[in-house]
Amino acid sequence: MNILDILITIIVVTILVTIVLGVVTYVAYKLRLARRPTVRDEPGGTWYFERHEPGDAIAEEG
Amino acid sequence: MTPTHRRSLGPLLLVLLVTGGTLGVIYWAVNSPDQVRVVLVRLVLISLVIFLGILLIRYFTLLWFGFMQHTERDIGERSDADLPPVSIIVPAFNEGAVIGAAIESLLALDYPTYEVIVIDDGSSDDTLAAATRWEDQASVPVRVFSKSNAGKATALNLGIANARYPFLFCMDSDSTVEPECLRRAIVHMEDETVGAVAGNVKVVNRDSLLTRLQALEYIEGLNMPRRAQGFVAAVNIVPGPVGLFRREALEDVGFYDTDTFAEDADLTLKLITSGWKVAYEDQAIAWTQAPDRWLDLIQQRYRWTRGILQALRKRKRTYLSPFPDFPLWLSALEMAFEAVLWPMMNVFAHLFFAIVALLFGMGELLLYWWLLLTLLDLAAALVTVSMEEEELSLVPLAVIYRFFFILFLDVTKSFAAIEELFRFGMGWEKLGRTPVLSAEEGA
Repeated sequence: MNILDILITIIVVTILVTIVLGVVTYVAYKLRLARRPTVRDEPGGTWYFERHEPGDAIAEEG
Repeated sequence: MTPTHRRSLGPLLLVLLVTGGTLGVIYWAVNSPDQVRVVLVRLVLISLVIFLGILLIRYFTLLWFGFMQHTERDIGERSDADLPPVSIIVPAFNEGAVIGAAIESLLALDYPTYEVIVIDDGSSDDTLAAATRWEDQASVPVRVFSKSNAGKATALNLGIANARYPFLFCMDSDSTVEPECLRRAIVHMEDETVGAVAGNVKVVNRDSLLTRLQALEYIEGLNMPRRAQGFVAAVNIVPGPVGLFRREALEDVGFYDTDTFAEDADLTLKLITSGWKVAYEDQAIAWTQAPDRWLDLIQQRYRWTRGILQALRKRKRTYLSPFPDFPLWLSALEMAFEAVLWPMMNVFAHLFFAIVALLFGMGELLLYWWLLLTLLDLAAALVTVSMEEEELSLVPLAVIYRFFFILFLDVTKSFAAIEELFRFGMGWEKLGRTPVLSAEEGA
């Protein structure tokens, strides 16, 4: 295998690997986006936490 | 199957169709008679030459126009008495870690009369407190406004509504500016037909290969076209980190719109549509923090591509009618080419030529083709880095830039373009970052 063949192999492999990496990274980005906590439409809070105001606790105690 | 899943099928089918079609043609070509193969090899050769030709024309035009802009720029000094007062608008959302550095750099500006207006766009961190701290301490008037979160465009519009002066300088809260920035940019406003001046954005955090590649990309990939467009005063994106506007021009076009994710590109196109010139000033320098993680970089470029496409889609009728709005037509076409067409062509051409090289034994040709592309990038990097008096050590990175970086980003841009074509929903996701900016580093 001469130097030209080695260079050609490097270029072809790099092009294909780069495109595959690009696709994989894009999919990873979309997955990360999909797994983020969903924010509720109303201001404040996520689906994972219930917001309690100090007044609620006082009212409950009373 | 949910509606989201159903909508995902469209782009997926399109990608599968194009990939399957290409593979089918290649398979047919490999198994076809010799005479057909000869014709096909010639077609491949012609397409290689056409691709190289487009690239050569693009580079030559950009470099030549950029060089003309560089040699003809006005570097004359103006006395303080000749400089009009300027209002500086800084929209901020969850930038508590870096907004101090941004304000500090603004207070160090070498400019006689200006005010700073910070708009906290409903941050959930300490942005408001960090900005308010400067209200009483600074020698320059600093005013801080707080509003509920509604996006960058609304924050900018609120800042403009509260600005006192006839010129407005908009910057991002994760950037810092050079002391000479405003003094250099305002010179262009002596021409009363200039509605905006785009500044020169540079990467401040150059401590990893990823951020150094972006530093080169900002110089070669983003500033080179902007400099060339500046020669004809038709810059098509005034970047978020550094842009000077004439208030009259903004009033004329109705300020920032809120219906795209690239409010800077959208506003610039509106200015060009209304007949305002948009200039470029390479000495109006802002330092910005580039994403230092691959996924954050992908997220940024995805948003840029879709935002630009949204801005272009608002003017879709423009493509069919170059007259009477020729500058807008040219800007829109150039923007569409750079943002969508070129990335897609780049990915497709690389993939196609790599497969053809393997199957038809045309590897040597691919090698020379690739070497020419790399030489072009090296030459462009050398010229643009020299023009900006930047680090020469960035130039050799042009090999990796061509070999890997651009192709890698173009894959995401292509997917973003397909998603925008099918109108997928998207949100403004905040970029993750490790704060590195300080006024000292930036200045």
